Amino acid sequence: MAPNARPTVAPPLSPHLQVYRWTWTMLMSILNRATGAALYGGTLLVTIWLVALASGPKAYGAVAWFFGSWIGLLILFGYTWVLLNHMLGGVRHFIWDTGRGFEPNERMALSRLSLIASVALTLIIWAIALLLH
Amino acid sequence: MAQFTLPKNSQIGEGKTWPAPEGAKNVQVFRIYRWNPDDGLNPRIDTYHVDRDDCGPMVLDALIWIKNKVDATLVFRRSCREGICGSCAMNMEGQNSLACTMGIDECKSPDNAVPFLNRKDKDGAIRIYPLPHMPVIKDLVPDLTNFYAQHAAIEPWLQTETPAPEKEWRQTPEDRTKLDGLYECILCACCTTSCPSYWWNGDKFLGPAALLQAYRWLIDSRDENTGERLDALHDPFRLYRCHTIMNCANACPKSLNPAKAIAEIKKMMVERAV
Repeated sequence: MAPNARPTVAPPLSPHLQVYRWTWTMLMSILNRATGAALYGGTLLVTIWLVALASGPKAYGAVAWFFGSWIGLLILFGYTWVLLNHMLGGVRHFIWDTGRGFEPNERMALSRLSLIASVALTLIIWAIALLLH
Repeated sequence: MAQFTLPKNSQIGEGKTWPAPEGAKNVQVFRIYRWNPDDGLNPRIDTYHVDRDDCGPMVLDALIWIKNKVDATLVFRRSCREGICGSCAMNMEGQNSLACTMGIDECKSPDNAVPFLNRKDKDGAIRIYPLPHMPVIKDLVPDLTNFYAQHAAIEPWLQTETPAPEKEWRQTPEDRTKLDGLYECILCACCTTSCPSYWWNGDKFLGPAALLQAYRWLIDSRDENTGERLDALHDPFRLYRCHTIMNCANACPKSLNPAKAIAEIKKMMVERAV
C-alpha cells in the first residue's frame, strides 16, 4: 500500500544531530560558526576598553582592573583563541574557495591544522604577553 | 531558526531486545531504528544479536539475516547488493553510506571520526538509523520525494540551441574526462542527508547531490544553457547555503566529491561576474 493511502499519521523526523558522527570537517565548521558568533562579545570587550580609555583615568582604571583580574584574564584568553580560531577558519575557507584542498586527507589535515594552530598561537601570544608583563 | 532537537512525535524510545541465537559464538549486536505508521507509537530502538559465523560480511547481510531469521517485520530498501542502485542508503554508526558496501567491521572503526566526541555503545553494538532529518515512511525507509524533486529542478538533461547533428553530439576525450567523478552519482541521498545545512534549510537549499548534478551539466562541453543554469542557482539558498562542511564528501559511498563540485560552481559564478 502506498504511504499516502494510509490514514494520515504525521511521519516522524529521523534523528540527525543526535546521531550523526562528528567528523573533523563538521566539527571545525561548527566551531567556525560558533567562534564567529562569540566574536560579537569579543568586539564588545574591545569597545568597552576603548570607551573607558576615552572617558578618563577613573573609568580606565576600573576596566583595567577587571581585565587584569583572574576572571578578566580568563575571558581575554578565551577571546584570543576565539579570534585566532575564526581567523584561521577564514584562511581555511579561503583556500577551499579557490577549489583546492578538497581531497580526503587534505580536508582532514586543513581542519585539524587550523585547530592545532589556533591553540598553539594562543599559548604563544599569552606566553609572550606574560613574559613581557 | 533551525530546530536542533527532534519534534515530540519523533523522539526515540527503548524497544524490544531480541534474544541471541542459540549456540552462536561470534555475536554482533545491532541497535536499529523502528517506526511503524500503524501502531501510533513513537519510534523505538530494537536490539538484535547476529551470529557472525552464519552471516555475510556486510551490514546489508546482517539486516537480511535479521529479517530472515529473527524479525520479518524489519523494513529496509535494498536491491542490487553491489553499490550501484543506491537503495540501501542509511546511517550506520553515525555516518551515511550504503549497507551493501559497508563492512560490519569497517563501520565499527571509522577513520574520520573526532576522538572523544563519538560515543560508542558498551557492548560494541552497531547503531543503524534511517537517513538523517527525513520524514520516515517505516523503519529504515525515508521519504525521498523532496530529494528527487530537487534533482529534477536542476534540469538534468542536455539542453542545446543549435540544431541537432545528424548523429550524436560530439565531445573531445578531454572534455569527456571533465564528467568523471560527476556522472557516477547513483542518487542514493547519502550526501544530501548528511549535510547540516540541508537539515536546517532542506526546503530551499538544493543539497549536495542536486548541486553535483547541476555542475555535471554546467561543465558539459555539449550543453549550451550554461548561463541560464547559473542564473537558476544564483540564489542565497539554492547554492549558497553550502558552507563547506564536507559531510557530503565524507559520506559518499562512490567516493565522489560534491563539496568540490559546489566550490567549482561558486567559482563559475565569480568568473562570469568579473
